[in-house]
Amino acid sequence: MVNYVCLSDQSKTMKNYRIAWRNLWRNKRRTLITVGSVFFALFFALILRSLQLGSYDHMFKNVIESYTGYIQVQNEEFKDNSVVDNAFEFTPEIQKTLMANKNISDIIPRFESFALASSGALTKGVLVLGIDPEKEALLSNIKERLVCYKLTASVIDTLKRKNFSQEFISGLELFRGEGYSSEIILQSDLGISDRDATSVMPVIKKTAYFANGYISAGKQEALVGDKLAKFLKVDIGDTLILLGQGFHGTTAAGKFVIAGIVRMPTSDIDNKIVYLPVDVCREFYNASDMMTSVVLSVKDNSDKAIKSTIRTLGQKIPLPLRLIGWREMNELLISQMDADDKSGRILIGVLYLIITFGIFGTVLMMTIERKREFGVLVAIGMQKSKLAAVISVEMFYIGLLGIISGIAAALPVIIYGQYHPMRLSGEYVKIYESYGMEPIMPFMPVDNYFIWQSGIVSLIVVVSIFYPLRKIYKMKVVNSLRA
Amino acid sequence: MKVIEINNVHKIYNETEIPVRAVDGVTLCFDEAEFAAIVGPSGSGKTTLLNLIGGLDSPTSGEILIDGINLSGLKSSELIDFRMMNIGFVFQAYNLIPVLTAKENVEFIMNLQKWSRKERDERTFELLKAVGLYERADSRPAKMSGGQQQRIAVARALASRPRFVLADEPTANLDSKSAATLLEIMEKLNHEEKITFIFSTHDARVVKMAHRVITLEDGKVVSDDVRE
Repeated sequence: MVNYVCLSDQSKTMKNYRIAWRNLWRNKRRTLITVGSVFFALFFALILRSLQLGSYDHMFKNVIESYTGYIQVQNEEFKDNSVVDNAFEFTPEIQKTLMANKNISDIIPRFESFALASSGALTKGVLVLGIDPEKEALLSNIKERLVCYKLTASVIDTLKRKNFSQEFISGLELFRGEGYSSEIILQSDLGISDRDATSVMPVIKKTAYFANGYISAGKQEALVGDKLAKFLKVDIGDTLILLGQGFHGTTAAGKFVIAGIVRMPTSDIDNKIVYLPVDVCREFYNASDMMTSVVLSVKDNSDKAIKSTIRTLGQKIPLPLRLIGWREMNELLISQMDADDKSGRILIGVLYLIITFGIFGTVLMMTIERKREFGVLVAIGMQKSKLAAVISVEMFYIGLLGIISGIAAALPVIIYGQYHPMRLSGEYVKIYESYGMEPIMPFMPVDNYFIWQSGIVSLIVVVSIFYPLRKIYKMKVVNSLRA
Repeated sequence: MKVIEINNVHKIYNETEIPVRAVDGVTLCFDEAEFAAIVGPSGSGKTTLLNLIGGLDSPTSGEILIDGINLSGLKSSELIDFRMMNIGFVFQAYNLIPVLTAKENVEFIMNLQKWSRKERDERTFELLKAVGLYERADSRPAKMSGGQQQRIAVARALASRPRFVLADEPTANLDSKSAATLLEIMEKLNHEEKITFIFSTHDARVVKMAHRVITLEDGKVVSDDVRE
C-alpha cells in the first residue's frame, strides 16, 4: 500500500551538523576564503577599536590627571562666569568635610583670574593662575613644562660655528628665540633624524641649555609662558608687573620676579599664562581666604566611584558651592573624542561592508554551484526546511571558525599592546609631547567592544545566510535538476 | 494492481513565444512490479513525463494518481514527504551526496524516515550486497567509478522500499559492461522486491530487458507494447 505520511517534524536522526561539517570541507578553498573574510574582519575591527579606545583612555587620563582632575569644587557661577567675584571662601570646615570622604586623597587649591601684565613699555592681558607649587607639580607635572633648552641669538650663533650642515644651520633661524621643555620636540623641530641625534643632540643640548627656576609658596615670584616672555621681552630674574581687578572691585597690583619660564602645549595659553603661588595670588586679588576652584585628588577614579563621591559630597558642602565631574569639565574634549569615535566607527563600518560583500560573494558562488545538489536532495525527499537547516549550520560553522580564530589572533596582540604600547614617531611625538603626554598608543584591554564586534560579524554571517535560504525555499526542483 | 494512473495529462511550457506541448494528452497505467521503459527521440517528453509521475513537476491539465492519491492535491511539503515515502529516483548523473559514504548515501532516506539504526544497517548491507558493493560501503562517491556510483544510486532509490522507482537514462553515462551489470541488478531487485521500475531511455539494452515499452513522440504515446 501507499506509504503516504506527512512528517511534520523531520527526522533529527540525520545529523545536520555532521553533514554540514563535511560539506564545509568539500571545497576547502572556498571555505577558507569565507572563514578568512570573517577572521580578518573581526581581527582588524578588534585591533582598530582597541587602539582607538586605548588612545582615548590615554588622552583622557592625561588631560584629567594633569590638569582638571576628576572632581573640582567651584562656586556654581564660576563655570559660566570665571571672575574673581565668583570665588568662594575655602574654610577649614569645607576642607575637613572634603577630606573626610574616603575617596579623597588630597586637595589642590587654585585661584584663577585675569590681569594686565607689563614689562617696560610692553603690556598684555594675561591669565593668572594661582597654584600650590608643590601639589600642582604632582598633579599637572608643571615642572616638566619648564623650558630647559632655549635657542637664543647667542646659542644660534654658537651652533652656526659648529661643523653642522648648511641646511641645518639655515633652518636654525626659523626657531630663533624658541624655548623647549622637551628634547624630543627640540629634535623634531630642528629636523634631526634619530640616526643623527646621537652625534648632534648632545652638542645642541649643551649649547642651548637653559637654567630655569620654579616658584615657591609665599614668594612674589611668577612662572610665565615662553611666548608671553618673548612678547614682553623678559627673562629669568626680570620683574613683571600685574594690574587687575581684585575681589569686589578692588584694585589688584603687584610686582613679581620671574622665577621660571614654561612652554605650554597650545600657543594660545603659552601666550598668556602667568603662574603665581596661590597664597600670593590671593593676596594680589585681595581675596585672602578665597579660591576659585579646588581640585580633589581621588583614590578610585572609576566612573561609579566619581559619581558616588560627587553625590555624597554634594549633599554636604554648602551652597553656592558645587562639585563638578571630569565629564562636565571636559565637555569640549569629550565632544571632539565623540566626533573622532564616529569617524572610527565609519571606518570599521566600511571594513565590515567590504567583508560583507566578500562573504556574500562566496555564499552566492556556493549557492549557484550547489543548485543541482539542492534539487536532488529535495527530489529524493529532504524537506526544504531541513536542507535550509543544514546550510545554516554550515554558515554557522564558518562564522564560528572565523570569529574564534579572529578573537584568538587579536587577543594576544591586544594583550601585548596593553603592556607594550605602540610608540609614535615623527610629528605625532611632537604633538603628544607638547601636551605633556607620553607619545604612545596603548591598546584598550578586553572589554564590551569584543562582544560588540563579534556580534556585528555574527550578524553579517546571519544576513548572508538569507540568500541561500531564500533560494532553497523558492527553488523549483525540476529547474534545479537541470542546472 | 494499479500503482500509477495517468489520466489525459498535458504539460505545456509557455516560456517561449510558441507554447511547447511536452506531454500531450498521455493516459497510462502502471501495475505493481512492472519493469517498463519509456522510449522516444530527444524532446519527445520522456523526462517530462517521468518528472510528472515523480511529482517533481505539475501537469498543466489531467491527473496523476498514485494508489488513488492525486499528486496535484498535495501541498509542496506533503509532496516532498510523499516522494520520500513512495518513490525512488535514479538520475543519469548519479547525483549521490558527495560528502557521504556509499553506506550513508544508501541509508540517507531511511534516516529521513526515522528508521532505527538496526533496521537501517540491515537494509543498507542487504542492498549493498545486492548491488555488489558491500566492500565499498565506506567509500565516498568521488572514489568510485560511474558504474559503481549508479549502483549505489539504485540501492539508495530502493532503500526505503518505495512503491516504484523512476530512472531517467540510468545507463547513459555508463560503459556497456557497467550498464549490463546495472540492468541485471535492477531486474533482479524488481523481481525480488516487487518494486515497479520505470525508465526513460535511449539505450537498446534497457529496451531489450524491459517487460513493457512505451514509445513517445511529440509528447504523445504512439505505442505501448507489453512483452511476455
